[in-house]
Amino acid sequence: MSNEEYRGRQQWSRNWQAVGTVVWISFLSAAIGTMVFFAMFDPVDLTSIFDDDLDIGRDAGYAAGFFFFWVLTLFCSALTAWLIRTAPNPDNKRRS
Amino acid sequence: MNSEVDSARAQPAPMYASAEKIYPREIQGRYDSLRKLATVVLLGLFYGLPWLLWDGRQAILFDLPARKFYLLGLTLWPQDFPYLAMLLIIAAFSLFFFTALAGRLWCGFACPQTVWTEAFIWMEQVAEGTRSQRMKLDKAPWSFEKLRRKFLKQMLWITFAVWTGFTFVGYFTPVRELGVELVTFSAGGWATFWTLFYGFATYGNAGYMREQVCKYMCPYARFQSAMFDKDTLIISYDERRGEPRGSRKRSTDPKALGLGDCIDCTMCVQVCPTGIDIRDGLQYECIACAACIDACDAVMDKMNYPRGLVRYTTQHALDGYTTKLLRPRVFVYATLLLLLVAGLVTSMATRTPIILDVIRDRNSLYRELPNGMIENIYTIKLINQRNDARNFALSVAGVPGIVLDGVPEIIGVEGGGVLSLPFRARARRDDVHGIINIVFTVRDLGETDVLLHEDSRFLGPTPR
Repeated sequence: MSNEEYRGRQQWSRNWQAVGTVVWISFLSAAIGTMVFFAMFDPVDLTSIFDDDLDIGRDAGYAAGFFFFWVLTLFCSALTAWLIRTAPNPDNKRRS
Repeated sequence: MNSEVDSARAQPAPMYASAEKIYPREIQGRYDSLRKLATVVLLGLFYGLPWLLWDGRQAILFDLPARKFYLLGLTLWPQDFPYLAMLLIIAAFSLFFFTALAGRLWCGFACPQTVWTEAFIWMEQVAEGTRSQRMKLDKAPWSFEKLRRKFLKQMLWITFAVWTGFTFVGYFTPVRELGVELVTFSAGGWATFWTLFYGFATYGNAGYMREQVCKYMCPYARFQSAMFDKDTLIISYDERRGEPRGSRKRSTDPKALGLGDCIDCTMCVQVCPTGIDIRDGLQYECIACAACIDACDAVMDKMNYPRGLVRYTTQHALDGYTTKLLRPRVFVYATLLLLLVAGLVTSMATRTPIILDVIRDRNSLYRELPNGMIENIYTIKLINQRNDARNFALSVAGVPGIVLDGVPEIIGVEGGGVLSLPFRARARRDDVHGIINIVFTVRDLGETDVLLHEDSRFLGPTPR
């Protein structure tokens, strides 16, 4: 190709693609989950279930909820990506 | 796939083949002006809206600590979440509708990723100069000049990113107070954290990741082709007109040389922010920013050829058919969109600003009083979503002679207030057998036509 020199040839490595996708998609899912969850439950009401003396305020409650969801979705997303990428490829299985 | 990439890498490296990043060339033209306008308007809205006042308070404030959303004159409560959900569904269908009609209009002109990348590239140009200057600077060894330019770029980027994070948090906490608090380092930990978090995300996405986000991380980029058909507006190179491509002198007649209109100047490739060659056909990396159209039009003008070798067109038009604007797909999306908008408007217009909830005490069935009465315990919850204080009266029907105890005749609830009040209902023993359905009614004393009903049950001894 004559114009190869004008193109940026940057490609993310497959690993970085996976990291980027996993982080971003789990973030989106966690954001949606947090929104829906806290539209129904008030963090202040929730903390009183665990411990009456626990008083962490709504700001911290929202943040804790969001990170809880994010850790969960990150785990799910990462594990799925990893399993798919490390699955045995039937095309390469020519052992006899 | 992998082997393609590998073989491309293995090719003998021409000038910039191993360049680590894409240096989009700056251009001017119709679509570039349009995108700059979109950038200014959208960023203006984002940075300006939190500062807007309405009746002395922030016009748009998603007050999470107080669990209330202020949208101009409207106050939304957590109970109004379905409206938000519906709004998001409407946004999704609008995206489908516009994609079917006009392709990736969203990507090229309205996506935050594009808009902020545009702003960050502009700052990069201010600090480091044009495309060729930037390429040279990056290849040059470290010098004072390089340090100065890189430092200036980072300062611009970081300032802009922190301001972006601050504005974002300003949608959730009153922005004026937040500004003062951040400057005096007295902001709450979480407000500071989210400011930096969002700022850092902006910095990374718009400064470094750029088109990689569109290529690898964006779900819309992958599924937008499902909304495409042969009548969808796309940016395309007119192969029949352009090929065979080749350089030539301005004075020569391309027909005599057997050449098409493409002079193979590669300007369309140089301006592309995702680093693709539009002449290879429609590619999913293309964010339809139309930079290549501007670039090619300028070249065509110079060559005295007609514009539009690269242009907004449709597959049908390129193949010589007429483009149909109105087609089933468009009708379906439009109808769904209209229904959703109509539904949202109706439900918001008929929304009652008072919410009534009467809950029977679950811990006790009923109590027999010494005077031959049966007593049940309830809790009334009244939410006044209006901004002014209202007075209400509670009544009950369903059992003859039932009376309420512990409820004032006039229940006052302040504007935006929530009232929770336990009370008792009593009826004569002879009138109550087993479970009886009753109805509580709340009347707004200011407006006689506002009545709210809530079904409940009254329990008494089971008849033998």
